[in-house]
Amino acid sequence: MSPAPAHVAGAGMVRFGKYPAEVTLESMALGAARAALADAGAGLGSVDGLYVGHVFGGPVAGQRIAAQLGLDGRPVSNHENYCASGATAVREAWVALAAGLHDVVLVIGVEKMTDRVAGGVRPDPGDLDAAVGYVMAAGHAMSARRYLADHEATREQIAAVAVKNHAHSVHNPWAQYRKPISLDQVLGARPIAEPLGLLDCSPISDGAAAVLLCNPAGLRRLGIAPTGPRVRGVGLVSGSVQTGLGDINAEDVSRRAGKEAWRLSGVEPGEIDLVEMHDCFTIAEIVRMEGLGLVPHGRGAAWAAEGMTALGGRLPVNPSGGLLSRGHPVGATGVAQVCELTWQLRGTAGGRQVDGARTALAYCKGGTVNGTDGGSVTTVVMTA
Amino acid sequence: MPSAETSSSTAVRGRPFREGLLALEPPRLLGSRCTDCGAASFPARAFCPSCRTGAVEPTELSPDGRVHSFTVVRQAPAGVEVPYTLAWVDLPTDRVRLMAQVVGVVPEAVALDMPVALELTPFGTAEDGAELVGYRFRATGEVAP
Ligand SMILES: [Zn+2]
Repeated sequence: MSPAPAHVAGAGMVRFGKYPAEVTLESMALGAARAALADAGAGLGSVDGLYVGHVFGGPVAGQRIAAQLGLDGRPVSNHENYCASGATAVREAWVALAAGLHDVVLVIGVEKMTDRVAGGVRPDPGDLDAAVGYVMAAGHAMSARRYLADHEATREQIAAVAVKNHAHSVHNPWAQYRKPISLDQVLGARPIAEPLGLLDCSPISDGAAAVLLCNPAGLRRLGIAPTGPRVRGVGLVSGSVQTGLGDINAEDVSRRAGKEAWRLSGVEPGEIDLVEMHDCFTIAEIVRMEGLGLVPHGRGAAWAAEGMTALGGRLPVNPSGGLLSRGHPVGATGVAQVCELTWQLRGTAGGRQVDGARTALAYCKGGTVNGTDGGSVTTVVMTA
Repeated sequence: MPSAETSSSTAVRGRPFREGLLALEPPRLLGSRCTDCGAASFPARAFCPSCRTGAVEPTELSPDGRVHSFTVVRQAPAGVEVPYTLAWVDLPTDRVRLMAQVVGVVPEAVALDMPVALELTPFGTAEDGAELVGYRFRATGEVAP
């Protein structure tokens, strides 16, 4: 048995980017929250609780936001699962709505990173991999190196993911970068962790996104017809300790996250019309799509190069531009994906609209833990 | 091969940067091995991640490895000197894979399946002033210096 779906009554973002010091975590969160409330036509008085995903926001960031927004006194919880923090907040909100604990909840994902993270994100300093020099880019670079050797794939095919996602981003007013880039630009970019270069990596960004979710009682309270997009289920798994000398790109954690998504939502993989995929690095989009089972094993790079995952292709991936173009304020990303799915399923995504989108999936993978195949993975399944 | 890097004999005078991680003489990584299914882990764990049922006991791991995959890190957070070669190193005897830096080979000459051997390396200084010792792998065999 799976919990009941949650309706998306409203969605809103502030444009992701690099903001000066006076644009605070709280002010960005307020901007996104007010946009989501306005989109729903709802007032603050209708909100039962606040769920906030962030990583670098500091203690009780959610309560600081609530006190400025006017949701003080309400239940507020903070959710940290690294890059899956925002989606984890969505999951906890969905569970609370299905349980009848709340009827209308606001979910905010927010991050102010550019003034506190430099040179790339890395694991907790207490993690053994961090002690030997691991940075996130290095892990994905080793994944790419092995993928190239194991699947007769080419560097150009991996780079095609960046070209595709930046081409999509031209149509996304919320994206940090909205310029098309060429294959030569990706291949010629400054190396970060070989074989990956600067344009294979998502940027360090600031930003916020918010959704107003409700159950049927909440819909009645808001006076909204139950016709809009809904969250059918949110899978959550964590990495498992690996033994032996298997394929580092096996993505068993993604396979398990997919299984949870199908189990909780009742949706079949073949029904998915589009995916918002956690492309923190180009290669990550490829191996995670394969891990989910949505692209055949070893074919993801070729699919990207052949346009199969582009707008108009067989299975569009990251019509928003993905993390590579939209930016990656880590705690905000999962909620921004849900905003994009909402607009796609409403049919209001403009130049990046996937024709006839009825069913969609958003995937986040957050953090790494020594010895495991990941930190946390979330899978949000939505239907129109 | 000649190297300007601090030799492992210097590092032996300190203590491991984490207790239970490695033995100094001879240099060995310390893991755990399941008495039931035989699966080994590094670092040592209190349970067997493979069968989940067997008891585990401490074990010394083979110092001989090979590069399963690698990258040359060109950008890192402040205070970390680049470039350096980071690898997934397989210890085929123990069927253990771990992450470690690889030295003794220029970045352009690192290759998949290249043989490497464990060595100790200085790993900073403890609060009590003691020299700390870490681990890395050195390329062996016929590779460019
Ligand atoms: Zn066992």
